[in-house]
Amino acid sequence: MTSSTLSLKGVTRRFKETLALDSIDLHVNQGELVALLGPSGCGKTTALRIIAGLDRPDSGHVSVGGVDISSLAPNKRNMGMVFQSYSLFPNMTAVENVAFGLEMRFVKRRERQLRAQELLAMVGLPNHAKRYPHQLSGGQQQRVALARALAFEPDVLLLDEPLSALDAQVRSNLRDEIRRLQLETGTTTIFVTHDQEEAMAMSDRVAVMNHGKIAQIAAPAELYHFPADAFVAGFVGQMNRIPAQITGDKMRILNSLVDYRPANILGTEVVALVRPENLLVELPKGARGVANAIVESKTFLGAITKVSLRVSDSLSLLAAMPGLQSTGFETGTPVSVKIQDGTYLAVEA
Amino acid sequence: MRLIRTRKLPLALAMLLAGVYVLLPIVAATEFSLRQPAKGDHGFDNYAWFMSDPDFGKYLGISFGLAAYSAIILLVVLVPTVVWLNLNGAKFRPFVEFISLMPLVIPVVALAIGAQTALPEFAQTDETVLAYMFAVLALPYAYRTMDTGLRSVPLRTLVEAARGLGAGWIRTILLVIIPVVRGSVLNALFMTLALSLGEFTLTSLLHWDTFTTWVTTMSQSNILGAIALSMFSLGAVFALLLGVGLFVRHPKSNVVSEEE
Repeated sequence: MTSSTLSLKGVTRRFKETLALDSIDLHVNQGELVALLGPSGCGKTTALRIIAGLDRPDSGHVSVGGVDISSLAPNKRNMGMVFQSYSLFPNMTAVENVAFGLEMRFVKRRERQLRAQELLAMVGLPNHAKRYPHQLSGGQQQRVALARALAFEPDVLLLDEPLSALDAQVRSNLRDEIRRLQLETGTTTIFVTHDQEEAMAMSDRVAVMNHGKIAQIAAPAELYHFPADAFVAGFVGQMNRIPAQITGDKMRILNSLVDYRPANILGTEVVALVRPENLLVELPKGARGVANAIVESKTFLGAITKVSLRVSDSLSLLAAMPGLQSTGFETGTPVSVKIQDGTYLAVEA
Repeated sequence: MRLIRTRKLPLALAMLLAGVYVLLPIVAATEFSLRQPAKGDHGFDNYAWFMSDPDFGKYLGISFGLAAYSAIILLVVLVPTVVWLNLNGAKFRPFVEFISLMPLVIPVVALAIGAQTALPEFAQTDETVLAYMFAVLALPYAYRTMDTGLRSVPLRTLVEAARGLGAGWIRTILLVIIPVVRGSVLNALFMTLALSLGEFTLTSLLHWDTFTTWVTTMSQSNILGAIALSMFSLGAVFALLLGVGLFVRHPKSNVVSEEE
């Protein structure tokens, strides 16, 4: 397999007044899958297009395997790409589409037919070789596009939101399939998405982008449990924002004292970022039990149940608990809410 | 089953009515054109009458030549323009649309006099000058036909996909762009051919003779022959439409398979 490391150094791209990429640095190891995750307009697709050579950076360099490819045309970069919209050539059958990249590399007809068939079998479509794109469903078209992108053993595989046009079930299947193929072939891969669940489920590392910069790049679990700032914390998973006070080396939240990590805070009045599963919700026990919130609603999601709580007129919280433990937390029930021990991110109020 | 039949009934009725509306005049005109009053029966005398005229072949040739020439002019100008608009020039689309509408806004008389004044004399020595004007007249229809066709395919993504897969510009044009735009181009070609073959006003105003002006002259002396000529023209254009239709037909039927 020919996949290689991919590096972006100081890549900047400006569209008139908009700074789409602000001096991005990124290093992707050989065989690694890195997701570029972020809201619309954060620069993730621009970064991917620059890597593919479909757009040129105003400054900075892109290199593969240590070789600077910044000035190479897209057809000289040996990268496979799967697009968001269906991009199969309508005048070619599935097998011809898959063999296209090999044909461009002057691979002999017999050899490229065999390789294309092999790839179609790999993506689960061995019997669809002679079909034209309009005879395939959306999911099948994206599978063929994936086979086409992998057929010529690219150095880097680029995936530009390849699942966003598909329905939930197909999306989930194809997501697993892409990851399986990526691991099987060991292809260095960049995966652009705005869907955090997709990014977390598929990637070795996730780069969260905001306003043309990488806000944080880390493994999914690290990103979830130790977000670098309020943006990452809010974008990845659900997060409660609870007013808190700094007292010495501790932070007081809802009458609980916990450890904290400061993120650009100035005073002692801060906002603590707490995940729903870090809230302890209990029914007040005995006459001395103190209720400090009321259940507003409850959503059963199978393994877990999400409970919306009103603490005061200005503060509502979302708690998550194992499905079976949610019995008794009906709408209007007074409950006591506490914070689990741990370290929480404190941001400016 | 009964429900399906009941639902399909209005559709069948509508199609029947539309069929009668279109076909009845054609059938009546065909019958009329086949009448032979002198012999009291039906035959091809009226068709033989215009086909035996020495000018028939001459003017038909001129009209087909002009139609082909105007189609080539239009395609040479239009194909690169529309492909470029769909690849990178989207912001110029309103301007191109405005220009393409001009032939509908400017009266044919003004176009004829304007062209006569503006074109150099050497370009006006024979009826070839009409081809340039036919191309202008066909512009609104051909442009829209081609642009609508191209907008329905993600041309930019296809080109980027081809480039990413290792194709240089020449192979991208030959293997991706041309096959993808072929249908739209042929449809635009048909519009141009049909318009050029039937154009009368401009030709008459500029005092040139083509098949349409010859038909008008001939029809003044023989009403049955004129109808036969009209049916012949209709048949010729229909055959052209059928030919283009068969040529642009997709290689396979539109069957979408089961989702995995």
